[in-house]
Parts: sequence; C-alpha cells; structure tokens
Amino acid sequence: MDNMQRNKKRDIAEKIVEAIFLICALVSVVSVAAIIVFVFYKGLKPFFGSDAYSFFDFILGTRWAPSEDTYGIFFMIVASVLSTAGAILVGVPAGLLAAVFIAQVAPKSLIRIIKPAVELLAGIPSVLYGAFGLGIIVPLIKKISPKVQGQSMLAVIIVLTIMILPTIVSLSESALNAVPKSYEEASYGLGATHMQTIFHVIIPAAKSGILSAAVLGIGRAIGETMAVMMIAGNPTAGLPDSIWAMVRPLTTNIAMEMGYASGKQSEMLFATGVILFVFIMIVNLTLIRLTKKAGEK
Amino acid sequence: MKREVKDGIFKAAIYISAVFTVLILVLIIGFIVAKGFSGLSLSFFTRDYEDNTTYVTTALYACEPENVSKGYISQLGITAGYDENGIYVKSIDKDSVVKNAVNTKDEKYSIKKDDRITSVGDVKLERFDSEEEAFWALADAVSAQSGTAKMKIVRPGGGIVPMLVTTLLMIVVSLLIAGPVGIITAIYLNEYSRPGKLLNMIHFAIQNLAGIPSIIYGLFGSLFFVTICKMQYSLLAGAMTVSIILLPTVITTTEEALKTIPDKYRESSLGLGATKLQTVYKVVLPNAIPGILVAVILSIGRIVGESAALLLTAGTVAQIPKALWGNSASGATLTIKAYTLMKEENDLTTACAIGIVLLIIIIVLNFISKWITNRFMAKKGA
Repeated sequence: MDNMQRNKKRDIAEKIVEAIFLICALVSVVSVAAIIVFVFYKGLKPFFGSDAYSFFDFILGTRWAPSEDTYGIFFMIVASVLSTAGAILVGVPAGLLAAVFIAQVAPKSLIRIIKPAVELLAGIPSVLYGAFGLGIIVPLIKKISPKVQGQSMLAVIIVLTIMILPTIVSLSESALNAVPKSYEEASYGLGATHMQTIFHVIIPAAKSGILSAAVLGIGRAIGETMAVMMIAGNPTAGLPDSIWAMVRPLTTNIAMEMGYASGKQSEMLFATGVILFVFIMIVNLTLIRLTKKAGEK
Repeated sequence: MKREVKDGIFKAAIYISAVFTVLILVLIIGFIVAKGFSGLSLSFFTRDYEDNTTYVTTALYACEPENVSKGYISQLGITAGYDENGIYVKSIDKDSVVKNAVNTKDEKYSIKKDDRITSVGDVKLERFDSEEEAFWALADAVSAQSGTAKMKIVRPGGGIVPMLVTTLLMIVVSLLIAGPVGIITAIYLNEYSRPGKLLNMIHFAIQNLAGIPSIIYGLFGSLFFVTICKMQYSLLAGAMTVSIILLPTVITTTEEALKTIPDKYRESSLGLGATKLQTVYKVVLPNAIPGILVAVILSIGRIVGESAALLLTAGTVAQIPKALWGNSASGATLTIKAYTLMKEENDLTTACAIGIVLLIIIIVLNFISKWITNRFMAKKGA
C-alpha cells in the first residue's frame, strides 16, 4: 500500500515535470507568434484608420522624409534586392568552389588551415565586417568610383559577399561530402577526370544542399544590418542608378532611425520591418521546404 | 587536349576561391589589428570610458613641504607629475592619507595613480609655464589648507571597463534565460515528445527563429520588452531579446548531443526501474554535458557579436548597468560601442582596438569549442 502511494506520487511528479518541459518547448512557438503579431500589428497600423497612409505610396514611393510625412520605401526594396542578388551572384560560386576545394581537392594539411579559417570568418561580429568595409573597401572604391563618395552599392555587395561566404562554404561542403562515394567511383570508371567528376557528377548530386546554402545566404544578406549601415551611404531618396550609387537597404532604414523615432515615423519603421519580414518568410519557407526534400531523399 | 585545358581552368578557379577565402580572413584580421593596435594599452583595460570629475575631501599630514621641486607633496603623501593636461598623481606613498579621501556624499573615494588634480580649495590649478611652477602652486595651495583639503579630482577615462562588464552581464543574464529554456526544450523534443503535429510545429518555429534577422528581433524587443513591458533600454530588455535569438542555437546543438547518446543507456536505466525523469537527469544529461557546453560557447559568441538587436534594446551608453531594468539599466556592450565609435564619433582606431578584444574572445571561444568537440564528443562515436 505504502509502495503504491509512493509510485502514484512519483507518477504525478513525472507528469508535472513533463508539463513544465512542454511549456519550455512552447516558448519558441510563442516567441515566433509574438514577434509576428507585434511587428505586423504595429507595422500595419499606419495603413488603416482615419488618417491612413496609402499602402501603395509606401511601397512604391522613392522618397523617405518623415518630417514631410512622406514614407516611400521602393528604393530601399530595390537596394536590398539588388545588393543581395549581387552578393549571391559572387558569393555562391566562390563559396561553392572553396567547398569543392575542402571536400575534394585539398590535401589534409591545407584543410587544417582553411576549415578553421572559414569557421572563424563565420564568428566575426558583423560590426567588424563593417569596420573592414569602412576602413578598406570604401576608400578603395572612392579611388576608382566616378562619384565623390566610396559608400556605394558595390561596397555593400562586396562586404555581403564576404559575410555569406562562410555559410555557403560550410553548408556546400556538407552537401558535397554527403554524395555517395559510389557516384564518384562510377564516374572514374567511365574514364572521367577528377574535374569532370566534380563538375558533372558530385556537384549535380549535391544540388539541393547547395541550393539550401544559397537560400540561407540570401536570408543572411537581406537581413544584415550593422555592417551594411556603415558602408551603404543611406540616402533618403532615389533609386540606385549604378553600382557606384549610395543605397539604403530596408534593414539600415530601421536601425538608423529607430533610436529616436516616435509616433508615425516609428510605425513606418515597423512597416519597413514588415516588408523585410515578408522577404525573410519567403526565404525561410523555401529553405524549410528544401531541407525537408533533402531529408526525404 | 581540350579536356586538359578545361580541367586546368576549373582547377585554377577552385584554388583561387580557396585562397580568396583565407585571404579575406587574413585581410580582415590584419586590418583590425593594424588599425587598432595603437589604441591598446594597459589603461584601455582598466579605465572607465568617460572622465570622472569628483570633489574629494582628504585629511592632511601636519608637516612642512619638502622636495617640492621633484613634485613631492608631503602633506598628502603623493608625488605629482605634470604634463600638457595639467597636474596628475604620479605615485602615492604606501600609507598616504589620500587613500582615505571621501567624496561629497561622504563615501570613500581613494585617489589613484594618474588622477588629475585640477583644484585645491579655491585655487584652480590650470596652465603653468613649467613643471616646477606647477608643483609649487600645488604645494602652496595645499599648505594654505589646514587639517583637511578639498580637491577637485578628474579621473581620466578612455578605457573599456564599462563595456567589458556590460558584455559579461549580458552573457550571464542571457544564458540564465536561454540556457534552461533551450536545454529543456531539446530534452523535451528528444526524450519526451512523440512524432506528430506538436513536434512539427515546434521544429517549424525553431527553424523560423533561426532565419529571422537580428534587426527584426530588435524591433520586437524595442516594442515588447522596452516599451510594453516598461523595461526601457536596459540589460534585461537586451538579454530577453538576445535569449530568443539564442534559442535555436541552444536547442539544435543540445538536441544533436542528445541524439548521439545510444538508446542502450536509456533502456538500461529504465530497465533498472528508474523513472523517465531519473533517466534524463542521471543518465542522459551527464552524457550530454559536452554538447551543452558547446551550445553555451556558441551562444557566448553570438552575444558578444550581437549588435542590431542590442542597439534597439540595451542602448548605447558607456556605463555599467546599475539595475536589471528601468532608468539606469542601459549599457553598451563592446560590439555596440565599437559601432557607435565608428558611426558617431568617427574613431576607427578605438573601434578597432575593441575589435581586437572581440577577435581574441571569438578565437578563444572557437578554440574551446573545438577542444571540447575533439576531446569528449568524438569519443562517443567510437
């Protein structure tokens, strides 16, 4: 009898603990929900009500002037998209080739240098990438640019390329390493060279993993704030007309003004966040779908 | 022939990309070190960021001035020095009275080496033609006082102590929140939950959290923690925001560690009559400790490097937070200060000096996590 009671007590304790564990596990879910609800609520507020701001003026406008009640972010969307596209265009091939080097070409001694280098590159705070951009890239661009300043879309693209490199390299490397050895052997058996095997067999077989790396890179690039803020120039109007032009990506718009903004300006910054969030959600969902597909394989 | 040329081109591209990756790292580290090195000094690590001006009252020794021309002030038991900024404390006698000086609130405020003495009593001590003139002016001003002397002391700043402490506090508070929640989540996911909708939902949420950029976390934190929860720009608002950012890292890393523990262990424990909780607590967790440590180290790296989210939640003031939340609880971490130095004060040298500190922290953390992985986690696979 005594024993039974003790067991019962133990069972109840176990149940309680499990419930607490479940609550902890739900924190992540609640966090995501809260972030979405709060950011969207505050960000969509200025477009409803009596003195609503036209959503089309917001999303298609090319001038941001809070003092004149003008909030257009089209030029920021363009800046974000173009900078990200540029970084991906350079960063993905470079990162993939570096991954090929680690996974296929490099001797063990070189791997011991390059792998820690990539890991370290991933750990460097973005503010320091900004310092590097400000101290090296911007002055260099200033020398060759037809415009007077070095802050430009080109600077943003270069720094973003560097910043997404570690992500691309390490994810592509895992994807390349996951390709079954038999593929490689079959290719050699058919008389292909090492390079032919890499480019015609291994990389195509690792396609979905590499694609995930690229998508993750897009997410990183479009969401990067601090490094970009220091080197973008952040003009308040105008579509970028060349890679030498100053740009103001969505992220820096938020970070630049959030510190002192209030009222409608603050809400408009949240609205900028909503647009950024929509981009991120597309990236996230694509990524989750891709990894799921890779997992099913 | 054609095939060989093509192969050669591909090979060259591969080598160039690899060299490029390493070169970038060398360039960045080289730049930060070269630019910031001149900003490093011992006082950089020991001083407050801002100059501190304090009025102190100190007792005086009843004795005649001696050795004044060498800067010795016998009544105070200090040796003064003089440079372009005025008179400063060069050295202090072991039993000097100035060690027991008090500020206007009657709290102890010991005068330290390098403090500047800008006035004694009503005598302002500024601008002298020579070192000796300065020493005599100080000695005369002190001699004119009887029993005690009131002095204006400026303690020079230029150091990163407040940012170091804030960063440390931010690490501790964030880990205290994200650590337990993240580890317990991982345990729940790996040990308790059954496959199904709930598990999918939690995993989906974690994947999404990992993809949200820190500026969005900053927006959320500044709205929810800073404004709605009325924490203001504060240590806690920053730590709460960072905790959410850390969750995916802590959860996935811990989960990986839990997955490597063989089911045999759990089955043996359960077979011996242990409950699920006992099994988790006594068998699973001890075996997962290296993995949890790696999660903690990765998290520390994230906190140290975090900027956008903290900028909007913890503020940019170079001070040690005096509370968890509220008026005087804001404080800039090293990274945030490096940013404001560059952006607002145009001081790339000091920013890069902080950058060197950050790099050292990151390299050490990388090294430790590598070491743990090689030492403890590789073994389990064997």
